[in-house]
Amino acid sequence: MTKAEFMARLRRGLAALSPVALAEVTADYEAHFEEAAAAGRSEEETAAALGDPDRLARELRAEYGLKAWEDKKSPANATGAIIALLGLGAIDVLILAPILFSLISVIFTLVFVVIALFFVGGAVMIAGPFVDYGGGPVMAVLAGLGLVGGATGFGALLTLATVGLINALVWYARLHFKLLKPAIEAQ
Amino acid sequence: MPEAIETQLKKGVLALCVLALLSRGDGYAYDIASRLSGAIDMGEGTIYPLMRRLQADKLVETYLVESPAGPPRKYYRLTDAGRASFAQQKAEWETFAGAVNNILGEG
Repeated sequence: MTKAEFMARLRRGLAALSPVALAEVTADYEAHFEEAAAAGRSEEETAAALGDPDRLARELRAEYGLKAWEDKKSPANATGAIIALLGLGAIDVLILAPILFSLISVIFTLVFVVIALFFVGGAVMIAGPFVDYGGGPVMAVLAGLGLVGGATGFGALLTLATVGLINALVWYARLHFKLLKPAIEAQ
Repeated sequence: MPEAIETQLKKGVLALCVLALLSRGDGYAYDIASRLSGAIDMGEGTIYPLMRRLQADKLVETYLVESPAGPPRKYYRLTDAGRASFAQQKAEWETFAGAVNNILGEG
């Protein structure tokens, strides 16, 4: 493999990284090739000694994915971290994925319920006073407010639970990744 | 599979070896990689994801030094946390290796 081929495969594997991160990584490997050339090694020799660029890309992607999630807890970073860990095999697809996906669908369902509750509450609050309703207009407005407030509170709890779940997952995968990593690297 | 065990052992202690090398003096990745790959058989490219992780965990930090030929080199040095982590991991390794040696000696 020539330097150009190695770098092309590495870049392809890292396409999901931010331009800054990609530049950092490619600069490292470019520098490695330059040092090796200065030491009198051929491009082929250097590329062979570096190892499989696809595997290196997977590892680097996981590093950046986990770091992004630890720096900022956003839905995009959560997805990124999970995909990176899946790519690495750190999350066992067969065992963990079914559990994970049922948890995710439960969370999604709850999110929809919360949103629906919020709007129903809003509708009751606005339309209640005009509809002939048992407790009178004040009760209708209060009931609506209650539903909206409940939905907001429950939504906040749900967010906390989701962040906690993903943190636990990242923690588990990191632990697993440290143990598993040698096995992945062994070609 | 003795080969797999050997590879696993080598890779498992890679981070410890990098911390050990840096505890004796700052270094740049190419130098660290070639010193390690000479001693323990490993892909040199593995050093970069590892350095990223050590950097993310704030165990090492980098600075640039002008190189006699070519672009400036990125040097790594241990942080205080890195020094502490090295001391702890070294002690753990010595306990573990001592225990294994004892068992092997008895066999």
